[in-house]
Amino acid sequence: MVILKYLLLLFLLMTAFLAINFKEVLVSIIFLSIFSIILTTLYLIHNAPDVALAEAVIGAGLNTAIFMSVISQVRDGKNSIFREDD
Amino acid sequence: MINNFVFVALFLLGFYAILVKKNLIKMVIGLNIMEGAIFYWFITLTDRGGLIPIVKSSQVVNNLNDPIPQALILTGIVIGASTSAFLLTLIIELNKFTNSTNPDQLGGMLED
Amino acid sequence: MSKTKHVITVIVLSLLGITMLIALNKIPNQFEYANSISQHIVNNAVKETGSLNFVTAILYDYRAYDSLGESTIIFGAVSGIVLLLSRKTLPVSSHGLSFIVKRTFGMLTPFIFLFSIYIITHGHLSPGGGFQGGVILGAISIIFSIVYGSEFDYKRYTPTTKTLLETGGALLFIGLGFLGIFFGGNFLMNLRFLNMGEGSLISAGSIPFINTVIGFKIGAGLAIIFYSMIQKTFKEGVDL
Repeated sequence: MVILKYLLLLFLLMTAFLAINFKEVLVSIIFLSIFSIILTTLYLIHNAPDVALAEAVIGAGLNTAIFMSVISQVRDGKNSIFREDD
Repeated sequence: MINNFVFVALFLLGFYAILVKKNLIKMVIGLNIMEGAIFYWFITLTDRGGLIPIVKSSQVVNNLNDPIPQALILTGIVIGASTSAFLLTLIIELNKFTNSTNPDQLGGMLED
Repeated sequence: MSKTKHVITVIVLSLLGITMLIALNKIPNQFEYANSISQHIVNNAVKETGSLNFVTAILYDYRAYDSLGESTIIFGAVSGIVLLLSRKTLPVSSHGLSFIVKRTFGMLTPFIFLFSIYIITHGHLSPGGGFQGGVILGAISIIFSIVYGSEFDYKRYTPTTKTLLETGGALLFIGLGFLGIFFGGNFLMNLRFLNMGEGSLISAGSIPFINTVIGFKIGAGLAIIFYSMIQKTFKEGVDL
């Protein structure tokens, strides 16, 4: 269980880093969803099933849908819709 | 110890996204990651290594985890979701006027 | 310019991180637990509220007033979003996804609804409660909009129904609170009626009712949020 927790923490940091630094916003949102799922597993390991259920439903389900509906209607000037304007 | 380190790393990643990124949606993603970091730290701080705070019958069970922080974090998750939905709505409305998601271009909106 | 700003940001953030790590290491690992309010709740919650899940007992009985504030925040968010995104054109319509996806979700959606009702009504016996189950209820509306096209969602689950569910849920919640005062207690007091014994579905007084009310309110509110967000996306082909 300890090894699983450390592995999950490593993946948590990796997905957070990729969610922020990926070039395409669409992929960032998918990484945010994976971040929430890993966080759900960690809550379950720490014996908090209510919080885990809420995080799974809201973080991985609802937030992804809302973010998707936003990037489908946001127009970004000259660039493509999904590109970050660095 | 490792939990503190993970909390600080995630919090600073989210904060970095809010400070540096040139895309409003990326900023909201950073805010979500900061929220997740704080919730994770709070849950791990109050985890005493006990059992899940759900019992079978009315007899008192010792060595349960503390239920109060879990209720607090549950409230926080729901409020965070509604807050980020409202922020994204504001982004949609701004995008109608500026046709961009770059926060640097919002300043020119007022002069026109 | 941008490069130096970037470097300065990273330096300041790493200094902040070191400070936070030093400060966090001073926090004790174990808190004083005996004689705390948590100890009182763990020892007495089943007797006082009848709920076997202590998180639900806190959320809907001991601190039910906070849950009222939370649902007020969601009500405010829904009102703000609908106010900002209100459009005069009738919403929507895409033709949805392919036939296979439509049939599959036609079979799956009743079970998703059943699962959400299970989570809502068994909030005092198992993990879950009004907030989690309500979000799953809202997800059904999202599935309708994505899979069948939002015209289907508009016809099956009209905005009037959603508004009725949301405001009705909020009003019933406040009404349950005033019933507590009416029967001689505090606002949102647990009424302890219809008790069929610990561990059965109908127990724990007014907690299952508050769960149901909050579940429908949250589900309808999130459905309204998603519905008003997708309105402009599919503009063509409107003939309602």
